[in-house]
Amino acid sequence: MPKVIKTKTEFEGRVLEEYVVVEGEGLTAWDAQAPLKFVGKKIPRIDGPERATGKAAYTFDVQLPGMLYGKILRSPHPHARIKNINTQRAETLPGVRAVLCYKNTPKISFRRQTFIFDEIVRYVGDEVACVIADDEEIAQDALELIEVEYEILPFVLDPEEALQPNAPKLYPDGNLLGGQPEVYQRGNLEQGFAQADVVIERTFRTQCALHNCMEPHGSVALWEGDSLTVWDSTQHIFGVREGLARLLGLPLHKVRVIKKYMGGGFGSKNNLGKYTVIAALAARMTGRPVKIVLDRHEENLATGNRPASIQRLKIGAKRDGALTALELKAIIAAGAYCLWPPSVGGPARELYACPNLKTEQYTVFTNTGPLSAFRAPGYVEGTFALESLMDELAKELGMDPLELRLKNYTEIDQTTGRPYSTKGLREAYERGAKLFGWPRRPEPQGQLRRGVGMASQIWSGNGMPPAYALVKINPDGTATVITGTQDIGTGTKTVLAQIAAEELGFPIEKISVEIGDTQMGLYAPLSAGSMTVASVGPAVRMAAHEARQQLLDVAAQVLEAPRESLTITDGLLSSPALQKPVAVHEVLKNLENFMIIGRGAREPNPEDVTVNTFGAQFAEVTVDTETGEVKVERIVAVHDSGRVINPLTLSSQIEGGIIQGLGYALFEQRVVDRNTGVVVNDNLENYKVPTALDIPEIVFEMVERPDPRANNLGAKGVGEPPIIPTAAAIANAVADALGVRIYELPLTREKILKALQH
Amino acid sequence: MRSFEYVNATNIKTAIALLSEPATEAIAGGTDLLGELKARLRSPRRLVNLKTLAKLREIRYSPQAGLRLGALVTLAEIERHPVIRERFSILAQAAASAATPQLRNMGTIGGNLCQKPRCWYYRNKLFPCWLKGGEKCFAEDGENKYHAILGADRCHAVHPSDLAPALIALDATLRVVGPDLDGEISLEELYTKPTESHRQMTILGPNELIVEIRVPTPKKAARGIYLKAMERQSWSFALVSVAAQLSFEGERIADARLVLGGVAAIPWRAKDSERILIGQKFSEELAERAAEAAVAGAQPLRENAYKVPLAKGLVKRALESLAG
Ligand SMILES: Cc1cc2nc3c(=O)[nH]c(=O)nc-3n(C[C@H](O)[C@H](O)[C@H](O)COP(=O)(O)OP(=O)(O)OC[C@H]3O[C@@H](n4cnc5c(N)ncnc54)[C@H](O)[C@@H]3O)c2cc1C
Ligand code: SF4
Repeated sequence: MPKVIKTKTEFEGRVLEEYVVVEGEGLTAWDAQAPLKFVGKKIPRIDGPERATGKAAYTFDVQLPGMLYGKILRSPHPHARIKNINTQRAETLPGVRAVLCYKNTPKISFRRQTFIFDEIVRYVGDEVACVIADDEEIAQDALELIEVEYEILPFVLDPEEALQPNAPKLYPDGNLLGGQPEVYQRGNLEQGFAQADVVIERTFRTQCALHNCMEPHGSVALWEGDSLTVWDSTQHIFGVREGLARLLGLPLHKVRVIKKYMGGGFGSKNNLGKYTVIAALAARMTGRPVKIVLDRHEENLATGNRPASIQRLKIGAKRDGALTALELKAIIAAGAYCLWPPSVGGPARELYACPNLKTEQYTVFTNTGPLSAFRAPGYVEGTFALESLMDELAKELGMDPLELRLKNYTEIDQTTGRPYSTKGLREAYERGAKLFGWPRRPEPQGQLRRGVGMASQIWSGNGMPPAYALVKINPDGTATVITGTQDIGTGTKTVLAQIAAEELGFPIEKISVEIGDTQMGLYAPLSAGSMTVASVGPAVRMAAHEARQQLLDVAAQVLEAPRESLTITDGLLSSPALQKPVAVHEVLKNLENFMIIGRGAREPNPEDVTVNTFGAQFAEVTVDTETGEVKVERIVAVHDSGRVINPLTLSSQIEGGIIQGLGYALFEQRVVDRNTGVVVNDNLENYKVPTALDIPEIVFEMVERPDPRANNLGAKGVGEPPIIPTAAAIANAVADALGVRIYELPLTREKILKALQH
Repeated sequence: MRSFEYVNATNIKTAIALLSEPATEAIAGGTDLLGELKARLRSPRRLVNLKTLAKLREIRYSPQAGLRLGALVTLAEIERHPVIRERFSILAQAAASAATPQLRNMGTIGGNLCQKPRCWYYRNKLFPCWLKGGEKCFAEDGENKYHAILGADRCHAVHPSDLAPALIALDATLRVVGPDLDGEISLEELYTKPTESHRQMTILGPNELIVEIRVPTPKKAARGIYLKAMERQSWSFALVSVAAQLSFEGERIADARLVLGGVAAIPWRAKDSERILIGQKFSEELAERAAEAAVAGAQPLRENAYKVPLAKGLVKRALESLAG
């Protein structure tokens, strides 16, 4: 029976308290020794062949008869009021079907106090108008024919300047999100610092990083009567459905959102995009399907980023290393809009036992491209600062950095006082240190200096309700998993097939998985926060379990065998009461088209423990003191994300996270021209992501301890954890090599050479 | 990009005639030009495709005549050619360090030598900068970590080619053909600092083509190296690069050519350094002095001062490895 409860869930460093309807209790997690056939096995992706051969249709590949193409006119100014738009010349260009702007579209409010087509533009790249034409080139030509009269407004790019009282304001109520900092406090800070033998205070700066997903953002919108179908590149089809329905005044059952295959999102596709709403409006206006897909330049201006941060961090400790106080004041450059500020203080609040603590976060509007979630938002930035400072503290105390971390180890969630359900960080430290060879003896240093460093990871990675699934068993003994999640490239489909195959006792080839369609699927949460497996997986297991029960009920009657004696493996029913095993389809074939439908829901989260993921990474670097070149030689990672469902898809996450973290540590950085607010490296030539040659040896292991309290799988997320400690570990290794620390990311040659001059 | 007409060149003469018409440009591999067209920096009405000029794809070598590279030879062909690898190794090294395998398969040597600057203001249509005929250099007080430290005046962009410094170190010359011109110039002469009346990085007119690149065979006792500092291991233009070619007589340096990339609007020949080296026995102290001289007079902007120690470090390392 569904139960309505009030529950606390942690999502990306924030605790949400909300009402949820929970179901799905009663299945306990497989224990660590359970002999499993599919779960925990290296199952290749079930949709690998179509992805690798180009048969999978991504949003960009959707071609509909009569389809038109949209291109968005973007503001060239960081802050301006649109006094007038003249679209006449653009409209008369042959092949142009419509030009949308604030004059001819409904005033639809979007993000806080702004509109889809706003009369004020707040960053270079903000949406001004959209041309719909027969092809993209015509649309692009027409953009140049739109005449916009701007009243230029003063602008501010730097978050510290934006906080000054006389700074240009982006919003009438000022540039500080919420009008005040977000403050968290425990214990007595002053007393804590007074008790300390050593106090260190430093300022760390992190850059703005861009996602650069392989697949750009985009939508195709189609109206059939008053029903809207949208193929959208999104991490949350149900979120897009809800948003479109709300903004366009449509009932939910008239909006269908589809996402079958995805080429990455990393958080930048968590929310409804303006391009989606514009495509829907344009399709309605022209009576034809409309495709709007952003190009790489737009990706780098307007689809979100990991915001730059300035973190003033102060730490106090006893001689023996025990922390007495920790204080963080963080400033985050939100850009022009902000839905969900990252939680930069998360690691400081949670990672170590520290009784006296305060974190204060200022999320500040600036006239730059807006932030969005980006793989472990806040935690990557916060971990860099915290783990750098921990190393400095260790140096000051003459302690080994790992020893200092163990000294402040906590089995209790510092923010709630609850114990962790399981915590494998100690084991991660130990195994990582052994794999890596930590601590290392110092070696003689020449032009090429070698350094080592390590850092820790904490992140929620628990799943949450609601999430639903169906498993239907077909008369031929195959089964279909149906749910409304989306596979953002992580392998969700494969993992869900494994879970269903395991629970049903069917061969994995007999399982298909249908996801990514709001009309056919059941609600599942956004694929973010490392929570897809831990949210949707348990619902699928529950659904498969229920389907299996029904199958056993029927089989017992058909085969005239006691129900309790029946088991299913490899799609065969066995029992001591049977002469030989009987295939499932043999049982079902005489029952006409009898349909077995199992229904599953994600169970509630435990209230008495905190479910979290943990890990540690170790880095070895060489720094060339003559040329400033940093080379990461190897990374050793050990993470605890509970039960591993598929070591192959898991390794993609671990390696991908480390590589993305390495790019962030060494080269990735959005560069905004200080005088005009224009992003000057809005391309993959100058926004530098790591290449194959930049990738070091990566060695990783999992603690692999199923978490029985997490959910009925014992599994937790792994999408975000691996990116969290990488930059911090690399920065610590570079500081070890240089003998001086650089407090700002990325660690470019520029900064290395500068540090070496001093 | 805007639409344009595409004409295949049938021979050099007709290509030149076509290029003499307004709004017409030559395209070879297109890896540079198409980027400009996509960014809508320019909109030629007609492109003249040089790739149909089969003769310009040839690589010829004889010890007496040296190496002759048709302008359409690709960077990938240069990188892989056994004779170039053995006798003109800095050219092969420079080609291998450029761009990515895909771009090297497409990009030609002629196009590489004539490519436009990568200055991010130049490449962005929102900035009507001085080099594009405007009033102001946006880099000067803007984001200039990739810009010039030496010899800059109105424009602070650097010449982006990796092949140019290597070829100048090898004393290469060009056969250039125009409407009433067919002659040989040294590669060094091709490059020029942009001036008020000539806002270009080369002296080539719009209807003049590089047809062939000629490289004399280096002396027996010559050794060369190309070192390139990048922000990552590949797919990057040089922050700073050094092409160094030394020949020895006994222990003494008989001849030296040292050319820096990524530091100036032209491939920067470090003549003072060359003078310091010639006639001397190698020592660490000598390398230090030559390195110092290479960046003498550097005038860094706000964000590119790191290029000074970087250039010094690379020159020193190049010399050390040639002596060792
Ligand atoms: C992402 C990226 C990274 C790169 N990295 C590097 C790098 O690290 N190092 C490096 O050296 N280069 C680099 N390049 C530049 C690349 O090497 C050049 O684009 C390429 O060599 C140009 O050759 P092309 O044949 O494609 O020239 P095109 O694009 O066809 O032509 C370029 C220009 O030269 C003119 N031109 C072409 N041939 C001739 C000729 N025979 N005579 C006169 N004019 C001619 C054209 O009119 C045009 O203006 C990079 C380019 C890109 C896009
Ligand atoms: S450096 Fe040259 S190309 Fe760049 S903005 Fe200045 S004038 Fe233009």
